[in-house]
Amino acid sequence: MNILVVDDENIVLESCKRVLGDSFEVVPVTSADAALEVLGRETVGLILLDIKMPGKDGMSLLKEVKERWPHIAVIVMSGYATNETVELVSRTEAATFIAKPFTPVELLEAVAKVMEKEGKL
Amino acid sequence: MFYSFRSKIIASFLGVTFLVGLVSLLFGGHLLTKSVLGEARNRVAQDLNAAREMYDNRIKMIEVALNITTLGYGFIVTLRDRDTSDLVSRLGRMAQHAGLDFAGITDEKGQPICRIGTHSIPGKKAQPPNPIVTRALEKKALASGTVLLSEGYLAQENPQLAERARVDVISAPGTSPLTEKTVTAGLCLSAAVPVLHEGQILGVLYGGILLNRDEKIVDTVRGTVFRNEEYKGRSIGRATIFLKDVRVATNVPAQDGGRAIGTRVAEDVREHVLEKGERWTKQAMVITDWYITAYEPIKDISDKIVGILGMGVLEEKYVDLRWRTLASFVLITLAGMALATLLGCFLAGKIINPVHRLIRASQQVTEGSLTPDIGPVSSGEMAVLQKTFKEMVAAMGRRRAESQDRLVLSERQASVGRLAAGVAHEINNPLTGVLTYTHMLLRRKDLKEEVRSDLQTIVEATERVRKIVKGLLDFSRQTKPDRERVDVNRLISGTMALMENQALLKGVGMVFKPGHDLRMVDMDRNQFQSVMLNILINALDATKPGDSITVSTANSAVRNEADQQGIEISIADTGCGIPPEHLNKLFDPFFTTKEVGHGTGLGLSVTLGIVQRHGGTIQVTSEVGKGSTFTIWVPLEGRVK
Repeated sequence: MNILVVDDENIVLESCKRVLGDSFEVVPVTSADAALEVLGRETVGLILLDIKMPGKDGMSLLKEVKERWPHIAVIVMSGYATNETVELVSRTEAATFIAKPFTPVELLEAVAKVMEKEGKL
Repeated sequence: MFYSFRSKIIASFLGVTFLVGLVSLLFGGHLLTKSVLGEARNRVAQDLNAAREMYDNRIKMIEVALNITTLGYGFIVTLRDRDTSDLVSRLGRMAQHAGLDFAGITDEKGQPICRIGTHSIPGKKAQPPNPIVTRALEKKALASGTVLLSEGYLAQENPQLAERARVDVISAPGTSPLTEKTVTAGLCLSAAVPVLHEGQILGVLYGGILLNRDEKIVDTVRGTVFRNEEYKGRSIGRATIFLKDVRVATNVPAQDGGRAIGTRVAEDVREHVLEKGERWTKQAMVITDWYITAYEPIKDISDKIVGILGMGVLEEKYVDLRWRTLASFVLITLAGMALATLLGCFLAGKIINPVHRLIRASQQVTEGSLTPDIGPVSSGEMAVLQKTFKEMVAAMGRRRAESQDRLVLSERQASVGRLAAGVAHEINNPLTGVLTYTHMLLRRKDLKEEVRSDLQTIVEATERVRKIVKGLLDFSRQTKPDRERVDVNRLISGTMALMENQALLKGVGMVFKPGHDLRMVDMDRNQFQSVMLNILINALDATKPGDSITVSTANSAVRNEADQQGIEISIADTGCGIPPEHLNKLFDPFFTTKEVGHGTGLGLSVTLGIVQRHGGTIQVTSEVGKGSTFTIWVPLEGRVK
C-alpha cells in the first residue's frame, strides 16, 4: 500500500520512511502541490500530513484531500496540538493525530489504528 | 473658544448695564415728565392767582383814587355847587394819576353831571347807566368790579374808547361758528363811590379802565409774575384777558408780530370756564407755540361770567429740561456700558489667562510631557484648579510608569513565549529524526551491550529534550480560558484525589478544608486543574514523610482593582520552605531549584499565567524550615473587557 508523507522537513520524511518503509511503499513529498500531483497520478492508501507547512497550508491541503479523495485516510502530524487545530481536525474528520516529536512506536500505532478503522488490516 | 467666553462676560455686563440704564431711563423719565410738567402746571396755576390778585388790585386802585378824590379839599362844596369846571379838573387830575380811561360824576339819581374832558353833558337821550354807579346808589356805598359796557355807553364817555373797544373776531379754522363777528362792547374795570354830605347823597363819583386793547395790565402782570423771564429770546409768560371767548387784551404775539387781539379761546376752555365757570389748566397750542395755560372766569358785579383771565407759560423750557435730563440719563448709561465693557475685558482676562495656560499645559501633557508649564499661580479657585491639575499629571506619570513596567514585563514574557514557540517548533522536526533513528538502532539485535547502553542514554536524553520542548510550548501557549461555572471545592477534591496515592506513598498527609457556601466561579476547568496539580506537586516535592499539605477555600472579602468579588484558595505545606532570595524569582520561567534532570522550571510561570488570565493573583509566604503557603485569589466572573 502507498503511504504519502507530506512534510517540508527532510529529516521527518526520512524518519517516516525508515520506520514505515519495511511494510509500506512510502512516497515522500515536501510540498502540498507535490502531494496533489502524486494524488492525481497514483493510488494512495494513507496520507501522513504536516499541518504547519509554509506555502500551501497543511490545513487547506487537508480540506482539499477530504473533498477530492474522501476515501483516503489521513493522519495529521503537528509540532504542537493547539485546541483550535484539534477542533479543526476533528471537524474535517482526519483519522487521527500525532504530535511531533514521535517515536517509531507511536507512529506505527497510529498507522495501525487507522488501518483497523478503515478495515484495511 | 476663548473669545466667546470673553465676549459672553462682556455681553452679560453690557446687558445688565443696558437693562439698568433702560429701566431707570424709562422710570426716571416718566417721573421726570410727570413732576416737571406737574410743577409747570402748579406754577401756572399760581401765576393765575397772582394775575387775579393784580387784576383785583387794579380795581382797588380805582377805588382808592375815587376815595381820595372825594376826600379832596372842597370837593363836597364843588359838587354841591355843581361847579363843573372845578369838578372836571379834579376828575382830570384823578384820571391822570390813576390812569383811568373814563371818569365822571352823576347826580343822586345817577344822571351824569360831567365827565373828564367835557364840562357839561349835552342833553341826549338817556344812555344806559353804568351798572357800578347803579349799584353804588343802591348800596349807598362803594361799588366796584368788572363790568361790560356797551358801545353806546363808551362812546358817550369818550368816542375813542368805543373805537378802541372794537375788536374784529378772528376765528381759527375748525372752530364753531361765530356768535358775533365783531366785539363792540368794552370789558371794563370800574368803581363808583357815592358822595355823602350830612347823610345825603350828593352824587356818585365813578371811574374805570377799558380793558379792550389795554397793554398796561397784561404787561404788568407778565412783568411781575414772570419777571420778564426769557427763554431762547422769547418771554416765557403770557397773560390774556378775554371778553367772552375773544382775546381783547393780551401779550400773546400774533403771527404778524403784534398782539393776538381778536383770537378766540379753545373750545374746551370756553366750555369749562365760560359756560361752567370752572378753572381750567391745559397744555395748549397758542398761535404758534405750546404753552401750559390756566384760565379762570371773570365775573361782573351781577356774578355773570363776562370773560376769562388766562395765563400761559411757554412749555418749551420745561420740555427742553426734560430732554436734557433724559439725554444725561442716556449718556450715563452709555458711560456705564463702556465701563462695563472694560471691566468685563479685565475680568475675563483674569479668568481666561490661567485657563488658557492650563489648556496649553494639557496639550503639552498630551504630547508626552510630564512637566507642563501652567504659568504663575493665581489665587482662590484658580489656584486650587492649578494644584489639582499638577497632582493629576503627577498621578498620570506614576501610573504610566507602572503600566510601562507591566507592559515591559508582559512584552518580555510574550516575546519569550514567541521565541519559545518558534524554537520548539523548529526543534521538533530534527528531534523526530533523532528519536526515530535512535529507536530504530535500539531494535537491532546485533548490538554490543555498551553500544546498547550508550544508545539508551541518547534515547533518555532525547526524551528529556522532548519534555523540555513540550514544557516550553505549554508556557508559550496563550490560550484564553474556556470558562464555565465551576464548583471549586469539587474541582479541588477531584484533583487531590489524583494526588492521593503519591502523597500516601511519600508519607505526606493531605487535608482539604472546603469553605462553606463557596461561590461558584467562572473558570477554565482544565487550566485550573493544572494549576492545582502544579502547586500540589511542588508542595509534595518540598515535603518529607510526616509533613502535611492543607488545602482550604473561602469566599474572599477582598476585591480586586476592577472591584470584583472573588474566592481564596490556599495551599499550605509544612515542608522545607523557600529561601527569601528565591521568592521573587519563583514565577520566572525556567527558574528551578531542582537537580538537573528533574523539572523544567516552567510549571509555576505557566500556573501564574493561567491565574492572571482569569483576572486573579497568587501570593506566596514562606519560612525556611517551617513551610510555604500559596494563596490564589480568583474573581467570580471573567473581567468585562
